Amino acid sequence: MKAPGRRGFVLIAMSITMLLLLAMLGLAFDLGRVYIARNEAQVFTDAAAMAAASRLDGTAPGIERARQAVARLPMKWDLGTQEFTGVVVEFSSDGTKWERDPKDAGATMARVTAPNNSVDIWFLRAVGGPNVFTVPARSVAASNPVRLTQ
Amino acid sequence: MKRERGHAMLELAVSAAVMVSFLAGTFQFGYTFYVYNQLVTAVGNGGRYAAMRTYRAASEQDIEKGRAAIRNMVVYGDSRPVSGAAPVVANFSPDQVDVEWTKGESGAPEWVSVSIREFTVDAVFAKFTFRGRPGVEFPFVGRYAPTEHEP
Repeated sequence: MKAPGRRGFVLIAMSITMLLLLAMLGLAFDLGRVYIARNEAQVFTDAAAMAAASRLDGTAPGIERARQAVARLPMKWDLGTQEFTGVVVEFSSDGTKWERDPKDAGATMARVTAPNNSVDIWFLRAVGGPNVFTVPARSVAASNPVRLTQ
Repeated sequence: MKRERGHAMLELAVSAAVMVSFLAGTFQFGYTFYVYNQLVTAVGNGGRYAAMRTYRAASEQDIEKGRAAIRNMVVYGDSRPVSGAAPVVANFSPDQVDVEWTKGESGAPEWVSVSIREFTVDAVFAKFTFRGRPGVEFPFVGRYAPTEHEP
């Protein structure tokens, strides 16, 4: 028979330990997925910005071809399982003013943003973490010669 | 007294089993995700390199040499690694990397894709195999040299 003061001690100790273990598992599992998603999104926007910039030729059809080039990219995120959604393609001729539908077709730079990459948090939410973590990515590429500038 | 000792042993056995499985799972997923992240970085670097690299196509051997340089960039972070160079991920080798060009009507490459054909992460407690991923596709923006040889 345990002394009255020691009853339930293991339960409390286990609860605290489980919370710490959950936090550890969350750091490894959830943060691991967040870092992967961020990396995948950055590689995607790099490829997309280069694809868009490579189609720019100073004409309106060139702008349209740039959009189509981004749309045809097959890359996915979340360990290669989810398609990128809400991808924004913008154009600029000077790198300061960005437009989705530029009136002047003489754009020489393309900027691609993948804003909707929200990773569901499974374990860290149990210890006060967020439910989702969004990892947007953005890249800028210039044409002629095509190169990443940001 | 004896009964209490027995309880303690039982509690230890149960909690140790839970903790060990938690720690094993933490390591398993943490390590696997770390390796996958390294692979994403590697194919991203390889893809950017492949997009910019001159495509020399005087013969099949030249194309293969170009492909080998891209594979080396993915695996070693260097198109011409020194002898005995360490791969970015343990047990990773160039023959596990696929490099393919999509060509236009003129024969010039328009796109280049770089992906991992198959890679198994040995996370001690379990093994995870990735097939065809991570993979990237970049527009080919390098120089097309159909009559040049690889140096």
